[in-house]
Amino acid sequence: MATIGHNNLNAKLVLLGDMGAGKSSLVLRFVKGQFLEFQESTIGAAFFSQTLAVNDATVKFEIWDTAGQERYHSLAPMYYRGAAAAIIVYDITSADSFTRAKKWVQELQKQGNPNMVMALAGNKADLEEKRKVTAEEARAYAEENGLFFMETSAKTAANVNDVFHEIAKRLPRAQPNQNPAGMVLVDRPAEGGARAASCCS
Amino acid sequence: MFGTQSQKDLSLETPFSRQSIHTRRAKITVKFQDLYGFTVEGNVDDANILNEVREKVRQQGKAWWALEASKGANWYLQTHVSSALKSSLKFSNLVNAITLKKLIRKGIPPVLRPKVWFSLSGAAKKKSTVPDSYYNDLIIAVEGKVTPATKQIDHDLPRTFPGHPWLDTPEGHASLRRVLVGYSFRDSDVGYCQGLNYVAALLLLVMKTEEDAFWMLAVLLENVLVNDCYSNNLSGCHVEQRVFNDLLKKKCPSIYAHLEALEFDVSLVATEWFLCLFSKSLPSETTLRVWDVLFYEGAKVLFNVALAIFKMKEEELLMTQYVGDVINVIQNTTHHLFDPDDLLTVAFDKVGFMTSTNISKERKKQEPAVMAELDQRLRRLNSSNLDVNSGLT
Ligand SMILES: Nc1nc2c(ncn2[C@@H]2O[C@H](COP(=O)(O)OP(=O)(O)OP(=O)(O)O)[C@@H](O)[C@H]2O)c(=O)[nH]1
Ligand SMILES: [Mg+2]
Repeated sequence: MATIGHNNLNAKLVLLGDMGAGKSSLVLRFVKGQFLEFQESTIGAAFFSQTLAVNDATVKFEIWDTAGQERYHSLAPMYYRGAAAAIIVYDITSADSFTRAKKWVQELQKQGNPNMVMALAGNKADLEEKRKVTAEEARAYAEENGLFFMETSAKTAANVNDVFHEIAKRLPRAQPNQNPAGMVLVDRPAEGGARAASCCS
Repeated sequence: MFGTQSQKDLSLETPFSRQSIHTRRAKITVKFQDLYGFTVEGNVDDANILNEVREKVRQQGKAWWALEASKGANWYLQTHVSSALKSSLKFSNLVNAITLKKLIRKGIPPVLRPKVWFSLSGAAKKKSTVPDSYYNDLIIAVEGKVTPATKQIDHDLPRTFPGHPWLDTPEGHASLRRVLVGYSFRDSDVGYCQGLNYVAALLLLVMKTEEDAFWMLAVLLENVLVNDCYSNNLSGCHVEQRVFNDLLKKKCPSIYAHLEALEFDVSLVATEWFLCLFSKSLPSETTLRVWDVLFYEGAKVLFNVALAIFKMKEEELLMTQYVGDVINVIQNTTHHLFDPDDLLTVAFDKVGFMTSTNISKERKKQEPAVMAELDQRLRRLNSSNLDVNSGLT
């Protein structure tokens, strides 16, 4: 959930995507500025937090980096429940991972927080020679579905901070005169109701 | 194969590292090598504790040798609490069983681990029901076959404890691959589940031979752990998480209430514990001490240990205000548990008595709810796309 106090925003962010797409690597790059050629596979999920300054506010991301293997799917709702933002990651060298990404988008559309800011990240952009998914195809899909799209590389750091910055900018803000209780955005998915806050996709 | 012979003193600044601890720990002072060759990072106190643990392990070894001298070699291999109670009224057996249980909770000396685990876990018995050549035949039969499981295994080999001096070598990768691929064919319902890579890797380090590691993996999945822990949507794992949640409520009510108020779901941290059997969270010797008891007393031990981790940090946990703080407290705790006795004393003396029968009952109670929930989710996902667009503007 995204909660707002003064100019500070706490936002739960979840990364979803196929095993090995580079979710953990993106987070490690964003949080620590590092890249490991061999990143341990994630079991369940790993938690990180990182604060970003955007314009007049600071956004503290509470990041859930989930496990990508298909059978871990049944654990995912625990992590995306109440998330203010999601980064759906695929590997540009794997068509399967793009298919999987689309499934995640569908699932979030059905069961996620309706105000969720969603980003589609085509990772491993440094592996141009092995590319299987074109940027055009992915961008078109993202536009159709109201996500914003970037190609990233956790290895070279290209666009990694940018994805998180863009999310931070798009997170719904409270109106200055809104009452505090109204500033808490939806934290229960798929139950309708609190759709009043404007969506920024 | 890499062994436990590294009796040399803690070396600083060794070039390899155990990622799960390494990547999550913020304030690092020194790097040192633990008993099983993992490089961990901690402060100077941690290094000292680890040296003390080495000494305790040596002392514990002496206790085992002394018993062997008085009761005869392999005395412990014919002993089991339940079988002694049931089948034999021989007093000496019962005494042995009680001695053994206590002894195991204090730790099996690393040199005896392969033999004791293999026998007491039931792996030896499992192996004895098939021809001697079973493992070799299996490995030959599956060589060169490509399945979704083998692809995922190949993907994970270099991602399993990267940097370990034996596991992260071509030889280590090849061994781990054969064990995991072999198992994926033995049980195609399980196939390959991420998490097993860490478990199998640690089994290889302890058991020394690939074949024994394979049988340990088999007995673990087929007899020791709850069914479907790694297969079928991880339903078994979901069951364990619910049982754990209820146990925490019962045994640590104030922690539970506090976490509930923070909307902290215990499975956020416990899922990894139950799927990797703590191998990704605790220092290696501490993990193996948990496994010592796990293989003798069964899967209920995982609950003792998980509860103990929370219980040990009651005060700190009650002061947390955010989910992130809770996770930090827990991770700092697990990564620093270099003295296994600190954890196991709480696990067996302070969280209260739990029997395997009670745990089984709890599981039975949770199963229908888990199945219903998983089923309902699946149906919701497959339901018509009518309301899909209402989530968008
Ligand atoms: N060339 C290249 N390799 C990358 C990039 N990002 C990740 N990798 C590599 O891809 C492998 C998988 O990356 P992870 O970050 O572990 O992938 P994940 O999505 O977290 O995988 P799971 O935890 O199994 O779900 C690692 O060996 C990384 O080093 C990238 O941008 N470029
Ligand atoms: Mg990962």
